[in-house]
Parts: sequence; C-alpha cells; structure tokens
Amino acid sequence: MANNPMEQFKIKEIFDGPQIGPIDLSFTNSSLWMVIGSLAVIIFLGLSARGKLIPGRLQSMGEMSYEFIADMLRDTTGPEAAKWFPYVFTLFFFILFANLVGMNPYAFTTTSHIAVTAALAVFTILLVIIAGIWKNGLKWFKIFAPSGLPLIMYPIIIPIEIISFLSRPVTLAVRLFANMTAGHVMLKLFAIFIAYLVGKDALSAGMAIVPIMGTAAIVALEFLVAALQAFVFAILTCVYLNDVYHVDH
Amino acid sequence: MTNENETSKTREPSSDLEQLEQRLDKLKAKHKKPEQDTDAGSLLGMAWRLSTELVVAVLVGTGLGHLLDRVFGTAPWILLVGLGFGFAAGIMNTLRVAEKMDAATSHLPIGDDLPDEDENDF
Repeated sequence: MANNPMEQFKIKEIFDGPQIGPIDLSFTNSSLWMVIGSLAVIIFLGLSARGKLIPGRLQSMGEMSYEFIADMLRDTTGPEAAKWFPYVFTLFFFILFANLVGMNPYAFTTTSHIAVTAALAVFTILLVIIAGIWKNGLKWFKIFAPSGLPLIMYPIIIPIEIISFLSRPVTLAVRLFANMTAGHVMLKLFAIFIAYLVGKDALSAGMAIVPIMGTAAIVALEFLVAALQAFVFAILTCVYLNDVYHVDH
Repeated sequence: MTNENETSKTREPSSDLEQLEQRLDKLKAKHKKPEQDTDAGSLLGMAWRLSTELVVAVLVGTGLGHLLDRVFGTAPWILLVGLGFGFAAGIMNTLRVAEKMDAATSHLPIGDDLPDEDENDF
C-alpha cells in the first residue's frame, strides 16, 4: 500500500495518445474514472427512465432529480432560464457521480484535480459571458457598473465589480477541488495510521479502534460532502446565470 | 429476584398509551439525527463559501495587479492597488453571499410549527 497520502492523486497514463501542440491527449486514470462516472450517470438515468405511470423506486429517483434541478433553476434564475436545464443537470450529475465513484477504494477522484474543476468552472463562466453578450449585446457590460451611483464612485466600483466577477470561476473551482482533496487526504492519513498501529505491537493494535472509528465517520462525512459540493456547484451556476437575464441589479 | 420484581413493577403502571409514546419518542429521536447531520453539513458549506469568497477575491485582485505590473513594468504599484481592490471585492462578495443566505433562511415557510427556544441558540 502507498504510504504517501498524496500518492492517490497521481496521474498515470493508461495508453498513449497524440500530442497536439502543448496538449497531451493520453488516456489517463483520471480520464478512465471520468468515463466510468459518465457511464454510471447514463446507466442510472437509462434505468430510471422507463416511463411507467406508477413509478418504481429507480424511476421516482430519476423523476425527483429532474424536479430537483428544474426547481432549483426556476427558483434561483427564473422561468426564462429553463433552456439552461440540460447544462445544469449534466453538470450536477457529472460532478455528483465523479465524487461518488471516487469514494470507492482504488478509484481515482477526478474532481480532486484543480485542472478538472477549473475546466468546468471556466466553461460555466464563458457560457455566462457569451450568452449575456448574445442576449443583451454590449449592454451586458453594465453588470460591472451598477446604476444610480455618484459619478465619482465609478472608478472605484468598476474594478471591484470586475474582480468580483472574475473571482467567481476561481471560487467554483477551488471549492470543489479543495473539498475533495482535503477529504481524501484526511481519509488516507487515518487509514495509514491504522496500518501503522496494527503493525507496531499488540497494545497499539488495540488502540487502532480509535482511527478505525474516525475513518468510518470521515467516510460518512465524505459522502455528504460529495453530494453537497455537486449541489453547491450547480446552484452557483444557476446564480451566475442570473447575470444573463438581470443586467440591472 | 428483587431486581426482576422491581422492573415488573415499574412496567405494570405504564399503559399501552405510554408505551406507544415511548416508542414514538424513540422513532422521533432516530429520525432527528440525519436532519442534524445535513444541517451541520450546510453550515460547513456556508463557512466554506464565505471564506473562499473572501480569499479568492483578494488573490484575483492581486493577480490582476501583478499581470498589469508585468505589462507596464511598474512593479509593485499596480499589485498593491489590486490588493486593495481585491480586498474590497472580497468584502463585497462576502456581504452579498451572507445577505443571500439570510434571505434564504428568512423565507422558509415556518407555518405554525415554530421552533423551540433552545433550538435556536447556535
């Protein structure tokens, strides 16, 4: 077993891919677990979409998740944002299943790499910018300059608003990445501690019950965090999509 | 012997209704636990959200200042200004998020099931 708690985040190439400029398109363990997570989503939704009049357990889970995201989008962004539903739904389920699949022993947690979470966050924020300009034209840039302020305030408030806007994708990416990484490091540290105690002597082996209980508690907490962070990412995407429709705020 | 007698004595007066109540209480206690768990989770989420909001805005402001410094060759002045603006943006973001959290909790439909006094102290 690996003795280094950071070992689990190592990227390993599974098979070589072409090199396009600076981008290495090799298929890595991260890509593998992304594919597995996506397949799990497809299987889950495929099984739950049987369209019976009286839904079984799986079907009602699927219907509940649909309503959950649809309600979230309607409540935070408004009814006109319904066309964003596929994006938010995909985002939520991809992150949720990537997190959950990563909780399995020997699995790789793709969301514990900031490259992955940053890509998702940048995609979200680019969508907001492009859709905002598409819909409002150049008037969209008014979100950086709230109306009704004395003129002298604008040189101060515009940079602040721009920094505030640019910090959004960073907070999105950092929060998901930090939560997943911190949880998995903590889990690994406790597990290594168990192995160390058991291997030392009989008295220490008896004491190992404490980190074993700690590990069990952290596993439970990590499942909660996995779901919570997917939810937070999705709901913040909805909040940011607000800026496409409500330029004067 | 005496012990057994006592337990049977204490059990005797408890009617079916009381027993039912005890069982209900036990069930209620069981059902309360996950609620508290999710509550703690969302509190943790709130803390995470507020703190990252503040820190990241400072970092973004400073980073932008650093970039502009490199472009214009005026190190370290724009970086310092960016730090100030970043801090301002961080405070603004944090306040905005906190405001939204307050609004979200105050719009909860409480109905006539008002929380107990000791439920509120956190």
